[in-house]
Amino acid sequence: MKTKRADTEGGPYAGSAGTGGVDAVRTRRGGPVCPPETLAQIADLELVARIIVEGLVSGLHRSPFHGYSAEFSQYRHYRPGDDLKYVDWKLVARTDRLYTKQFRETTNMAAALVLDASASMAFPVARRRVAEADLVRSAGPKAADRVLSKFRYAVIAAAALAHLISGQGDAIGLLAGERFLPPRTGRQHLRRLLATLGALEPHDAWHGGEMVRRAAEHMSRRGLLLVLSDFYDAEDRTLAELRRAARMGHEVVLFQILSLDELELPYRRDLEFTDLETGRRLAINAGLARREYKDAIAAFLERWRNRAAAEGFQYSLIVTDTPPDRALRNFLLSRTR
Amino acid sequence: MIWLNPATLVALLALAAPILIHILVQRRAERFPFPTLRFLQPARLAAIRRHVLEDVVLLAVRAAALAAAAAAVAGPLLVTPARRRAWEGRIVRATVIDDALRNVAQFLPPRREASAFAEASADRRRPGEDGQGGALGAAASAPAALHQEFPASPLSDGIRRAIAWLETAPPARRELVVMSSFPLNSITAADVAGVPADIGLRFERSGTLPSTRTVQAGRVWTSAGVVTRQVTLDGSRTSVREEATAEPLSWPIDVVSSPEYGSIADAAASAVRSQRVWAPPPDRRARLVLWEPASKAVVAHANAIADASAIDRPWMADAVAGMTRDADLRTAAGRIAGGFDETRFARAPWQVVAAAADGRPLVVAAGSPTRLIVVCGAQASDVVTPVVMRAIANAIAQVPDLQSAEVVSISDALLQGWSRSATPPRVPRVGAVESDDRRWFWLAALCLLALEMWIRRSRVSLSDREGREESVRVA
Repeated sequence: MKTKRADTEGGPYAGSAGTGGVDAVRTRRGGPVCPPETLAQIADLELVARIIVEGLVSGLHRSPFHGYSAEFSQYRHYRPGDDLKYVDWKLVARTDRLYTKQFRETTNMAAALVLDASASMAFPVARRRVAEADLVRSAGPKAADRVLSKFRYAVIAAAALAHLISGQGDAIGLLAGERFLPPRTGRQHLRRLLATLGALEPHDAWHGGEMVRRAAEHMSRRGLLLVLSDFYDAEDRTLAELRRAARMGHEVVLFQILSLDELELPYRRDLEFTDLETGRRLAINAGLARREYKDAIAAFLERWRNRAAAEGFQYSLIVTDTPPDRALRNFLLSRTR
Repeated sequence: MIWLNPATLVALLALAAPILIHILVQRRAERFPFPTLRFLQPARLAAIRRHVLEDVVLLAVRAAALAAAAAAVAGPLLVTPARRRAWEGRIVRATVIDDALRNVAQFLPPRREASAFAEASADRRRPGEDGQGGALGAAASAPAALHQEFPASPLSDGIRRAIAWLETAPPARRELVVMSSFPLNSITAADVAGVPADIGLRFERSGTLPSTRTVQAGRVWTSAGVVTRQVTLDGSRTSVREEATAEPLSWPIDVVSSPEYGSIADAAASAVRSQRVWAPPPDRRARLVLWEPASKAVVAHANAIADASAIDRPWMADAVAGMTRDADLRTAAGRIAGGFDETRFARAPWQVVAAAADGRPLVVAAGSPTRLIVVCGAQASDVVTPVVMRAIANAIAQVPDLQSAEVVSISDALLQGWSRSATPPRVPRVGAVESDDRRWFWLAALCLLALEMWIRRSRVSLSDREGREESVRVA
């Protein structure tokens, strides 16, 4: 088992965009605070977030999130939608290129967590619950979360990000399924957000484009859009809305969360695969289908990575067997560079 | 290889069972929830069908086990050259000994086989005496009992029992030996034809017949009374001498009829006697009732049949059977238009001897403590009356058997023509062989079942191991 996982480190998922990529999230700098399986067993989401963040921020002396305050932080390429008043016209005159000035913001950044709560995020389902797959698709039993599913992993990562952002005094909001919390600051809001996260259950399909659009429109000012999903649903529509959000001035960060089994399809027997979202069934021999499957999903990931790079999104591919603190550490380190 | 019980090869139809099971039982793939099917190729669905084909090995093993079991039940017998030599090297012999020889010491055969028979019979019960059961019992003690003797009189009966025993004998050349002095007609061509062709036939003439023999040949009623017959057999010549019997004998048939028919009955009896009929022993008598319902002798008739009962004496039963076979009586009765109007003669204890043209009984018989009662429904003046009277007289009498007094023997040339040697053994039957090869087939069936179990268990353990790996991976 471990050998198979080690094999993936040089596989098609290495070198993903941004801080993403299996190589990046698996660097040995700073050991994991806690194994992901252990974190998944802790019901108190606030505690989980604190465990991750407290081990995470040590060594990070500056906020990794950039706002638009008076303290200059860095230049970046101009993107349509950027306020022209932040364009450094002198630099334009010297280089004949458009650059936007970014400023370190300490208190007024707004961030929104867009969490994919679709049934596909419930994978992997505990084997003993395979017979209840239909329940997972429709209602998503909480017991399924005890297994470190993609959704549980995403919830933990979202909680850690919320804890980190809120701890800096920035506003943090949440949009997951039908639940929407507008970006706000304060400890009470954080607890409410974490409680909302803990109460979420994966079910039905995810309309990524709609969710991104709602999140972007609800942010009254430019902010940070953190999207955690497997991005299986409505690729083009989701991408279009992400592009639109970026044009509205939001910084877009994509966390594509997948499980290793999803990437490797390490099964050999005849299996009747059941789509967690649609319930459609397909009986195949997994061993025979593995090569074509791996090629197809590698192409899918490559497509998202290329699109993210082209649009200027920060993209991270996170495999669920990576400790969440390590994945976030690498993500944050990439932002501080 | 031959099959001792080929009919049970029908059990091979059971092979259809595992084949049908393998065809009809669809292997159901385990359900496995997965995030999306968009990257899975539906073309791989055919792999499921291919997986079913992987069970061909298991199917073949199961079918082979069933086939081996069916073959074992069918009694396989490998006819190897050594086994065939062993069969051909021994002979199963059934000897039919004329009872007349066994009862006369000077007729005992001086041959070695005869001594062996005598020794064998000293410590072995006589299976021929209890018919088929005895023969089967002797077969069960095979192969030691390769000889069996069948005392018989007449010889045809012994030959029949000997053939039945040979049919159950273990595989070997089979021979039937008949030991007798072979008086004429003691064996006929029909008896020889009844012996299966692969059984050898040998006739051992033992003892000699007297050149002349004089025997008492019963008594006969004539118009002059009863005469005693003495028959002298001298070679091919036969002479009969009759002497009047000194002791007074009464006519054995009492006739009950209307008074007006008394003379007719007497005339009928006289006519019968003139035709010379066998005189029965004094204790065998009969009563003939000439039934006339309209006559004044109705009461007498009723009294005559009052003691009628079921026939419980052998001679009476033989007599009724003999009368029934009398062709003249059947013909005469068939000319009468109607039989008895009374239905009681169609029920027990009455037995129909002859029927009229309309199918109703015309002549019936029943027993009684002292005599045979026969009731005739024809008119007394009809020809049926003397015919039925003659039939009664001949039926109740004992016809002397002169066959036992025969002094002429069957010719050696005829016996030689009937003789033949035993042919090689034919396909034995399942109960006749001492040992067959079915145990090897049962062993093969058991080995195949063990192999089938091993295959199933190994597949289950492999499946469980894969399942555990996947469980670990999922968890």
